[in-house]
Amino acid sequence: MKHFRKGLFVGAAISLLALTASAAVAETPKDQLVIGTSLAQVLSLDPQQATEGKANEIMCNLYDRLVLATPGGKIAPQLAESWAIDDKGITFKLREAAFASGNPVTSKDVVFSLTRLLKMNQAAAANLKRVGYNADNVEKLVTAPDERTVRIDLSGEVTPELLLYRLAMVTTSVVDSVEVEKHVKDNDYGNAWLRTNSAGSGPFTLNRWTPNEIVILDVNKDYVGGEPKMRRVVIRHVPESQVERLMLERGDIDIASALSASDLATFQNKQGFQIQRVPTGGFYVLSMNAGNQYLSHPKVREAIAYGIDYAGIEKTIMGPYGRVRTVPVPQNYEYAISSPDWHLDVEKAKSLLAEAGFKDGFSLSLKTIAQTPRIDLATAIQASLAQIGIKVNIQQGNGSEIIAAHRARDFDLLIPQTGAYMPNVLGSMEQFSSNPDNSKEANNAGNFVWRSAWDIPELTKLTAKASLEPDAKKRGELYVEMQKMFVDLKPAVLPLFERYEPIVLNARVKDYVGHPNMTTRLEAVTKAETE
Amino acid sequence: MKELSTSELGRRVLQLIVSLFILLCVTFVIGRVMPADPVGAVVGELADPAAYAAMRARLGLDLPLYQQFFIYLTGLLQGDFGTAILTGNPVSKDLAQAFPATFELATLAVIISTFIGVPLGLAAALFRDSWIDKTARVVALVGHSIPVFWFGIVGLVIFYAGLNWVGGPGRVDVYYEGIVTPRTGLMLLDSLLEGEPEIFWNALSHIILPAIILAYAAMAYITRMTRSFTLEQLNQDYVIAARAKGVGPANTVIGHVLPNIAVQLITVLAISYGNLLEGAVVTEIVFSWPGIGQYMTNALMIGDMNAILAATIIVGFIFMFLNFVADIAYALLDPRTREATQ
Repeated sequence: MKHFRKGLFVGAAISLLALTASAAVAETPKDQLVIGTSLAQVLSLDPQQATEGKANEIMCNLYDRLVLATPGGKIAPQLAESWAIDDKGITFKLREAAFASGNPVTSKDVVFSLTRLLKMNQAAAANLKRVGYNADNVEKLVTAPDERTVRIDLSGEVTPELLLYRLAMVTTSVVDSVEVEKHVKDNDYGNAWLRTNSAGSGPFTLNRWTPNEIVILDVNKDYVGGEPKMRRVVIRHVPESQVERLMLERGDIDIASALSASDLATFQNKQGFQIQRVPTGGFYVLSMNAGNQYLSHPKVREAIAYGIDYAGIEKTIMGPYGRVRTVPVPQNYEYAISSPDWHLDVEKAKSLLAEAGFKDGFSLSLKTIAQTPRIDLATAIQASLAQIGIKVNIQQGNGSEIIAAHRARDFDLLIPQTGAYMPNVLGSMEQFSSNPDNSKEANNAGNFVWRSAWDIPELTKLTAKASLEPDAKKRGELYVEMQKMFVDLKPAVLPLFERYEPIVLNARVKDYVGHPNMTTRLEAVTKAETE
Repeated sequence: MKELSTSELGRRVLQLIVSLFILLCVTFVIGRVMPADPVGAVVGELADPAAYAAMRARLGLDLPLYQQFFIYLTGLLQGDFGTAILTGNPVSKDLAQAFPATFELATLAVIISTFIGVPLGLAAALFRDSWIDKTARVVALVGHSIPVFWFGIVGLVIFYAGLNWVGGPGRVDVYYEGIVTPRTGLMLLDSLLEGEPEIFWNALSHIILPAIILAYAAMAYITRMTRSFTLEQLNQDYVIAARAKGVGPANTVIGHVLPNIAVQLITVLAISYGNLLEGAVVTEIVFSWPGIGQYMTNALMIGDMNAILAATIIVGFIFMFLNFVADIAYALLDPRTREATQ
C-alpha cells in the first residue's frame, strides 16, 4: 500500500512539472501583428469572388486597386497614379509597380481583373452590374490603349465620380494575370487556385490560409510603397468571445474583434488597451415582409416604427455596436436628413393599428441570426412590440438558414445588417431605395428591398436619377428628396441603428486605423516596445 | 475455435458495414432537408439568380434526392468524398488535415484518463467507503455533471490567464505557427521529427489543458466502471483465499484482480476513446483547436453536406471500429466468452 501511495504522489508531481515547465511567453513578437477574430464566414480569398467583410480585410492587404477610399471617404490613388475624366469615361495612368511574383503591373492586368469579375458573375460583381457593367459589355467598356493606360468607358448608368467609388472596392482588386492564367482549370478563371493563394501587388502575400484556423500573411519586401514594418500578420480564428478576451489580456493577441458586449465592456478604461469603434456606414435593420397580410399596410409599418424603444435598446444593448438612426444614411454624412419622429409611443402605435383595422393586435414571427447583438435586439423588439399588441415569436438560426429565408421572402420580420460601400447618401442608401421589379417571378433575391416585397417604383426611379446626376449640388438635393420619400413611404426595411464594429487593441499597437469599409491596410502599423 | 472466429468475424464486419450505411442514409436525409443554403454561401448573399442557379447546378443540388444520393454513393465507393464548399478542397484532404489534431488530443486524453481513472477505481474499490472511495465518487460525479464548455473556460481563466501555467487556445503559440511542416499532422511528433524541442514543449503546454478537460469526463466513467468491476472480483473466492494467505492489498489488486478485469476494462477504454474522438467538438470550440469537431461545426453552419457526411462517416466508423475491436478482444482474451460462443 505504501508503494501505491508513493506511486500516486510521484505521478502527480510529474504532471505538475509538465504543466509548469513550459509556461508561455506572454507577449507577441515586435515584428508580428496577431489578430484574434472569427474567420467562420471566410469561404474564399479570391477578390473577384469573396464579399464577406472579414475576407475583405485580409484581401485588401494582398491586393491593390486602381484607387482607394480613405477612412475619411475621399478617393485617393493606389495603382493609378492619376486619372482624367471626360464626358465618356475615365482614363487612368498606372504607376510603376510590381506584383509579389516580380511581374510588372500593367494595364492588361487591370482589364483582366475587371473582366474576370464580371465574367465570373458572382455576388462580388453586383456593385458594377447594378450600374450597367456586365459580362457582355465589359470587354468593350474596359480597355488598355497602352501598357500603362487603362480606359473605362461609362455605361450610361453612373457618373464618373460614383464609378470611382465602385472601383475602390476590394472586388475590383488587380490580380496578376500571368500567375492566375497559369492556374486556370475547366474555365474557372483560376478561381479554385486563387481562393487559397494570392497573386497581388499589396504590402503582404498569403503564406497560409487554413479555413477556420488561421491566416498567415508574409511581408512583400518589394512592395511599391516601401517594406512594411510587420514581418508577418497572423489572424487566428477564435470563435469564443470569452477566450478571445483572455488571449488579449494575456498578450497572446494584439487586436480582438468579434467580442461580445460584456467582454468588450471589461476593456473600458483598462490600462494598456484601447477600444476603437469603427463606423461601417451600415445599419441594423428590421425587415418587414410587405407580402404579409398585416405588414402590407403602411399604417401597420408605421405603428411598428412607433412601437420600438430605440433609446432603451441603444442604452442597454447596442452600446458599442450602434446608435439610434431611422433613416438609412449615417447622421454625419453630407445631405443626411434628421431621423423622423419615430420613438416609443404606445398610444400612437395602438391608434395606428386600430386605424389599419387591427385593434386587437396579431402575431408575427421574427427571424434572426443567433449572434451578438442581434439576438438581444430581437428579444428587446419582442418585448417592445408586445406593449402595442403585436405578439412576436423569435426564431433563431445560423447565418445560412436566416439568409436563405430572407432570400426566399420566407419571414414576417427579420433582422439583417448592412454596410456602405461609399461614404455618401447613395453608398449607404441605395440598397434601401431601389427595387426595379418587385414581382415574385423577378426572383431578384440579391436585392435587399425585393426580399421584403416592398414595391417602390418612384423611389427606385429617384435613386437611379441621383446616381446619374453629374452636378454635385443637384445630386445633393436629390439625396434629400430620396430620404424624405423613404420616410413618407413607411419603410418595410426599417433602419434602427447605425452600425459600428468595435475592436480592442493592445496599446502597443500604433497606427492601426479601422476603415469603415473593412479595408484596413496594415502596412503602416508598428508595435512599441513593452514598457 | 478458428472456424467459429472467422464466421463470427465476418458477421461482425457485415454488421459494421450495415450500421455505417444506415448512418450514411440518415445523415444524408437530415442534411438535405436542413434549411441551410450552401449555394448562397458560395456565390455570396447578393448574387443574382442566374449565378445562383448555375452554382446550384454545378453542385448537383438541382437533381432529385435519390440521384444525389446515388452519385454520392458511387463517388464514395471510389474513395471520393466530394469537394468541400467551406474550403474548396477535396473533403478527404481537409479531413486528413483536421483529423490528426483531434486524434492527438483524444489520444492524450485517453492516456491521461486511463492512468488516473484505473488506479483511482481500483483504490476506491479496495478501500470501499473510505475517504479515497468517497473522493473518487465525488470526482466521478463532478466529471459527469459539469458541462465541458464551462469547465474549459474556467480552466483557461485559472491555468492560462491567471496562473500562466499552460499555453492558450490553438495548438502552439501564434509566432510558432507555420514553422513546423506537417508530416504526420501530430504537432508533438512533428516538432520532434523536425528537431524543434522548443516547439514541442510549446505544443505540450497548449495540449495539456484541453486534454485534461476532455479526459476528465472519460476518467469519471473509467473510475466508476473500474471500481464496480473490482468490487465484483473482491468478493470472489480466489481473492479471499489470496488475502487469507497474507498477500497485501496492492499485490492482490495488481497480481490477481487486474488480470481478471482487464478484458472488461479494454471494452470500457475503447468506448471511452470513441466518445473522446466524438466528444472533442465542444473542447475544440473552446480551445480554438482545429480538429474534426470544429470542422464539422463550421460545415454544419453553412450546410456543407459533403463535409458533414464525410466527417460523420469517419467519426462513426472509428466509433464502431473501436467497439468492434473491443468485442473481438473480448472474445479472444476471455475464455468464458470464447467457450460460450463455441
